[in-house]
Amino acid sequence: MTTQTTAPQTPGTPAAPAQSGLIGIPANIARALTLGGAALTIVSTFMSWTWTSDFPGDLTVYGYPGGLQVLVLIGSILTTLFSLAGYDIKGLRHLVPAGGDAALRFAALATFATAWYTVIAISDELGGIVNLDPGGYIVAIATLATLVGALALPFEKPEPDPIDPDDDSWEKFKNKAAHQRATIKAAFAAGAPRPVGKLPSWAEILVIVAVMALGLTVFTYGIGTQYDELFIGFLLTAGFGFAALNKSGLVAQATQITSRHQTITVFGAFIAAALFPFTQTDDQYATIGVYILIFATVALGLNIVVGLAGLLDLGYVAFLGVGAYAAALVSGSPSSPWNVHFPFWAAVLVGAAASLTFGVLIGAPTLRLRGDYLAIVTLGFGEIFRITVQNLDGTSGPDITNGSNGISSIPDLNILGWNLGATHDILGFTIGRFANYFLLMLVITAIVVLVFRRSGDSRIGRAWVAIREDETAALAMGINGFKVKLIAFAVGASLAGLAGTVQAHVTYTVTPEQYQFAGPIPPNSAFLLAAVVLGGMGTIGGPLIGASLLYLIPNKLQFLGDYQLFAFGVALILLMRFRPEGLVANQRRQLEFHEEAEAPTVLSKTGA
Amino acid sequence: MNELPQQLVNGLLLGSMYGLVAIGYTMVYGIVQLINFAHGEIFMTGAFGALTVYLYVLPDGTSMWVALPLMLVGAIIVAVTVAVGAERFAYRPLRTAPRLAPLITAIGLSLALQQAVWAWYPNAKSSITFPQIDGGPFHIGNVTIQTGDIFLVIAAPISMAVLAYFVMKTRTGRGMQATAQDPDTAKLMGINTDRIIVVAFALGAAFAAIGGVAYGLKYGEVNFKMGFLLGLKAFTAAVLGGIGNIYGAMIGGIVLGVAETLASAYISDIPGMEKFGSQSWADVWAFVLLILVLLFRPQGLLGERVADRA
Repeated sequence: MTTQTTAPQTPGTPAAPAQSGLIGIPANIARALTLGGAALTIVSTFMSWTWTSDFPGDLTVYGYPGGLQVLVLIGSILTTLFSLAGYDIKGLRHLVPAGGDAALRFAALATFATAWYTVIAISDELGGIVNLDPGGYIVAIATLATLVGALALPFEKPEPDPIDPDDDSWEKFKNKAAHQRATIKAAFAAGAPRPVGKLPSWAEILVIVAVMALGLTVFTYGIGTQYDELFIGFLLTAGFGFAALNKSGLVAQATQITSRHQTITVFGAFIAAALFPFTQTDDQYATIGVYILIFATVALGLNIVVGLAGLLDLGYVAFLGVGAYAAALVSGSPSSPWNVHFPFWAAVLVGAAASLTFGVLIGAPTLRLRGDYLAIVTLGFGEIFRITVQNLDGTSGPDITNGSNGISSIPDLNILGWNLGATHDILGFTIGRFANYFLLMLVITAIVVLVFRRSGDSRIGRAWVAIREDETAALAMGINGFKVKLIAFAVGASLAGLAGTVQAHVTYTVTPEQYQFAGPIPPNSAFLLAAVVLGGMGTIGGPLIGASLLYLIPNKLQFLGDYQLFAFGVALILLMRFRPEGLVANQRRQLEFHEEAEAPTVLSKTGA
Repeated sequence: MNELPQQLVNGLLLGSMYGLVAIGYTMVYGIVQLINFAHGEIFMTGAFGALTVYLYVLPDGTSMWVALPLMLVGAIIVAVTVAVGAERFAYRPLRTAPRLAPLITAIGLSLALQQAVWAWYPNAKSSITFPQIDGGPFHIGNVTIQTGDIFLVIAAPISMAVLAYFVMKTRTGRGMQATAQDPDTAKLMGINTDRIIVVAFALGAAFAAIGGVAYGLKYGEVNFKMGFLLGLKAFTAAVLGGIGNIYGAMIGGIVLGVAETLASAYISDIPGMEKFGSQSWADVWAFVLLILVLLFRPQGLLGERVADRA
């Protein structure tokens, strides 16, 4: 995970050449400051931070934390644990298998960012810092102290490049700036984690269950955040908190355990996801859940095309649209010109087959050529699909799709007597319409994951990766490049069509405007691609996380409003510049993008 | 069928606008093998640059004959600034990255530019009226040339001639050719390839800006989305002419423009195709043409530079 290989910083290592902190405080004082600050932060979350309950989440109560305080509490507990581990307390060492100080810095940063964000938001919204109660001041000072302490902890600084006496002052300045960057990077870099010992398999499965439960809790919390401030706090805490866990080496250890039991992990993840509707009391958040799932499933399908085979498809949403329109036309909707009502399984086949046909039609002429052509042809196809369904309204073309009004009143599905449009009670849990569709969509997701995993590890999947890495070499090895690429493209298209058949029923209506290249509402081609790139190309988890974030951020942060597409564009540029491998990095891609990094000893077959 | 000359002229005019924008795609692609997806948006910023000069710099009521050259300068300055900035800060750091990376950057850039204009340019949330030249349409025999198209009639051939002179005769132009053939050897021969790349971006942006002004005059309005579909068409034109081939871009543009115009004029005469002839299908036919060209002559009409360093 890390690019620098510094030795783990456990106390007691002989003093390395340049061991000092970013801030000049003696190490033992810094450590005490961190611990004290974190402890004080915990206490402060039980106090009142402001006098009025006008600020959302009611932070006025003494005795128990509420809203953003809970997030600060979680962050400070994490900081406390890591800083105690820094004192070499027995039993806490296993919390920091990769050395605790980098993790401690991130945990302190998480707490600091969330707490200061809250304090600043209170002052800003209520008009001035006079609105803070003592708890607010205490938490601000305590988190600042923690952060200062954490930054003052010693670490091994990189050697500066020798300065060339011939350099002009600009060169010297650049040299100095580069060294400063390297120093800060080293401060947040952690060593390689200890490999996790062989646990009994029930214990390892227990770890997996715990990880899944944690994931479900975090996701449910994120979906359920009621106001902008809480969601931003959630992003800050979750982002820096995850970085802290990552630097501590816990993530790496959990990954080791899950990779030993891959099948169980995948099953566990699906069970956790299937439990999501049962954690909800009404259909409000299940709605968000099902839209995220559609978005994520389509992104995962795109990841086969882009991530595994390296084919850039810029019109992927059109295949979703083909599937959705096909299903809508045979759904018995009154605005469909054909008065037919196919059962669901037949509609699914029609949708997937229609997308497959278009995939082959588009792919066959273009995949013989270099990849750039595919990008532009798919982009064109995406636009043409939209224009065509808009024109097939009876006036500017034959009457098939009802033009820009789309096909509306698509009836709810009825599978084996189970009406997905109605509310059901199971074991005392109420399962509403969107929860029904959430569970159905989960089945589709499972199919896509299955295809992704099985094909990724198969002969054909390795051929995809080979073509992605170096087409000329792959061809020389006897791979039929065109055939293999066409299979990837067609598989991707039909999976999108599959998802589209369910989407048509979830949204009641399909219109051309749902299938744009870029628009404010995901899924659209640009967001799908961004979900794949942000999450990590060629991985399963990446697009799922990327899609969740890209759906939730615009959905929860209403104030971004008009600027969200702009922010999105800028984010894409920055992402490519600074972390082109995405959040969940496929190890092989990581090496490709960061040549200076050392290769891990073992790579799994697809590098995922 | 006596309107055929008229349709051909319409197609020629539309096509030379595509060609002006296509030059930018083809030039950048020829040198760095990058589809500058944001080029359509550079075209759009050029049009808005010209509009800004007219609305906010010049006094009200300036004659278009005075204003137009100044607007053109404004358009070129804005477009070149955006393009060079994009090259320096977005593309250059990725020059050695896998080729998917700069393409995604380009998409991000395209969205960001579009949305920036939408969000911050005054009144740009809907289309803005573009100033027009006075004087009636011109008649040559049976053919009518609309007032708005006069600019294209003059600007397109001049631009082409200037470009040809630049590429063939000047030192920088020959440096560009050398870099396109083999960047490493060009570097050894003392050519500053970084500078050449910047020049290619700047030159492409300048022609796109001219195209942007032409678009404004032709259609009478500009909007933040105008670059997307036009960029797509211009890229099609570049592929049609043979990507990397500068003359091919212009030829490809003209072929595309003529084909599109003829398709929307005459396809409805074919039995069974009555409903597919209107203007709303023109984009579809342009795209079908692209697919056909890729099927039967993927190297383009004039032939592509053969080097494949992909």
